[in-house]
Amino acid sequence: MHPVLRLVNRNLTVSLNPGFLIWQVLFPLIYIFVVGFAYTSLIPGVTYNGEHVTYPAFLATGMIGFNIMNSTLVSGLIIWNDRRHGMFEQIMSGPYTRMQYVLANICTIGTVGMISAGLIVGVGYPVFQESAEFTIYTIPLIVFAAVTGSVLFGSLASIISTRLTSSEGFNVVINTTFIFLAFASTAFYPAEGAPEGLGAAFYFNPLTYIVDAIRAGIFGGITQAVFVEMAALSAIAATLFVVAAKMMTKVDL
Amino acid sequence: MKCISAAALSKAYGDTRAVDRIDLNVEPGQAFGFLGSNGAGKSTTIKMLTTLIRPTSGSLNILGVDALREPLRVRRRIGVVLQQPSYEPTLSVERSLTKYGMMWGVPGDESRRRAERLMRDFGLADLRKKRNEDLSIGQRRRVQVAREFMHDMDLLFLDEPTVGLDPAARRELLDYLKEKAASGLTIFYTTHILSEADYLCDNIAIIQKGRILASDTPAALKKRLGRQKTITLRTNADDQTVATALAGIPDCVVQTGMGASITIESAKPEHILMEVLSRLRKNGIKMREISAEAATLEDIFLETIRDASGSETG
Ligand SMILES: Nc1ncnc2c1ncn2[C@@H]1O[C@H](COP(=O)(O)OP(=O)(O)O)[C@@H](O)[C@H]1O
Ligand SMILES: [Mg+2]
Repeated sequence: MHPVLRLVNRNLTVSLNPGFLIWQVLFPLIYIFVVGFAYTSLIPGVTYNGEHVTYPAFLATGMIGFNIMNSTLVSGLIIWNDRRHGMFEQIMSGPYTRMQYVLANICTIGTVGMISAGLIVGVGYPVFQESAEFTIYTIPLIVFAAVTGSVLFGSLASIISTRLTSSEGFNVVINTTFIFLAFASTAFYPAEGAPEGLGAAFYFNPLTYIVDAIRAGIFGGITQAVFVEMAALSAIAATLFVVAAKMMTKVDL
Repeated sequence: MKCISAAALSKAYGDTRAVDRIDLNVEPGQAFGFLGSNGAGKSTTIKMLTTLIRPTSGSLNILGVDALREPLRVRRRIGVVLQQPSYEPTLSVERSLTKYGMMWGVPGDESRRRAERLMRDFGLADLRKKRNEDLSIGQRRRVQVAREFMHDMDLLFLDEPTVGLDPAARRELLDYLKEKAASGLTIFYTTHILSEADYLCDNIAIIQKGRILASDTPAALKKRLGRQKTITLRTNADDQTVATALAGIPDCVVQTGMGASITIESAKPEHILMEVLSRLRKNGIKMREISAEAATLEDIFLETIRDASGSETG
């Protein structure tokens, strides 16, 4: 087996523990089936691309992006955990190069992102299937958004992991980032209905681009705006990945 | 060919010369002890030898490979137990061994076989299903050392591996390493405990403030540096009883006074003390007081340094 695959194997073993997987399914389940349906008395539906979509269906598709972010922020912490538990030094004293370590982390993050996106697609499918209009053209878009988004959030978490040394600071930064990204996005509500400033703020958030692309892919209606968002997403992801890789290769031992 | 050959190896952190132009030569099959007190530069040296950090200057050849040019080639052939604990918190003991084997490319069957044997050898069989994060520090340390034997290697580095282990586990580990050394594995072992280096190693280098003070066989070093240590015990029993009980133990003098007091004077008083205690227990003699005038390595160093700086200024 290639060294990178051996590291990915180990990363997945460590990341995909039952607790993590249950959380990855349970949390969105509660969101879609409790919050989503409970809100239907307040939110009769959302107009998406000129068509009526139920709120649970809207939310379920948003949760795919949300779950990608949630899981890849966590798996981006591999390097944080490895440093805290001495595994980074241990691996670096073994038959691996730093570049292999970085690559393995990114592959792990991408895999985890795809797995958690798949989980929500599976769980949420009954809710959004009525409005779904998949085509062979939209599925690559969904996969692309999922992978690019994974790299973006995984890199972001890796950067935070390498910059911060105290647990307290680390937790504050990670949680604040998470809450801001999650709620100042179109995952839970459409940008159009929000107060003007806030709605605009949603578009400074990469989660919005991911969610928009995934929704466009699922409900049909890939507009030019989605392509612009995809381009922005790719650019941000590439930049963050380069920065993360640089930082990870410079971590002191 | 030398296993480790370092010349004028140095590492500076700002103004701190953590390691200052040291030369090392370790022959194949040797157990080499690297002895020094806290902050002496042991870990920094091990990190350079294992290619984790780059020396500020000097040259380094490990197993015939230029370690500064081809660090990965070196790392493929060495085992490393660092001073810092390293573990996967959520994996079980068994799983962390087999996963580590996988990471070294050991085939599945072989990996399971080795894990079984190591869990037995390191007394981990009962803990096999326990997660690393639920282990005590000493247990975790045992897993960390055992894990390193999952893969083949030509040279093993251990940085104070006995810290956190109880005396029995300490001895077992030293015996295990001794056996490995006897079967041809080259070992580079750091410690601040003289008796450990003495027990395990064929050769010892003593490092202080980044410089090697002395390098020789344990016997020769002890002659040079090892002042005798004194342990005194007081008992409630009368002289005669104590004297009879302890008859025949070397380096052990019974004095009369208010209850017999026993004085052990030796370079290795720990071993004698064990014997004295067990004889006292057998004879039902109670101990009232124990005091040690220990000439630890620390003391020797302090003295050496004091001497050295004394002669510099004076
Ligand atoms: N990363 C580092 N940055 C700055 N100083 C360091 C670093 N690592 C070690 N040192 C210093 O180098 C000296 C040797 O440390 P170390 O090699 O850890 O000693 P030992 O392992 O013998 O206890 C100490 O003075 C220590 O403070
Ligand atoms: Mg040290």
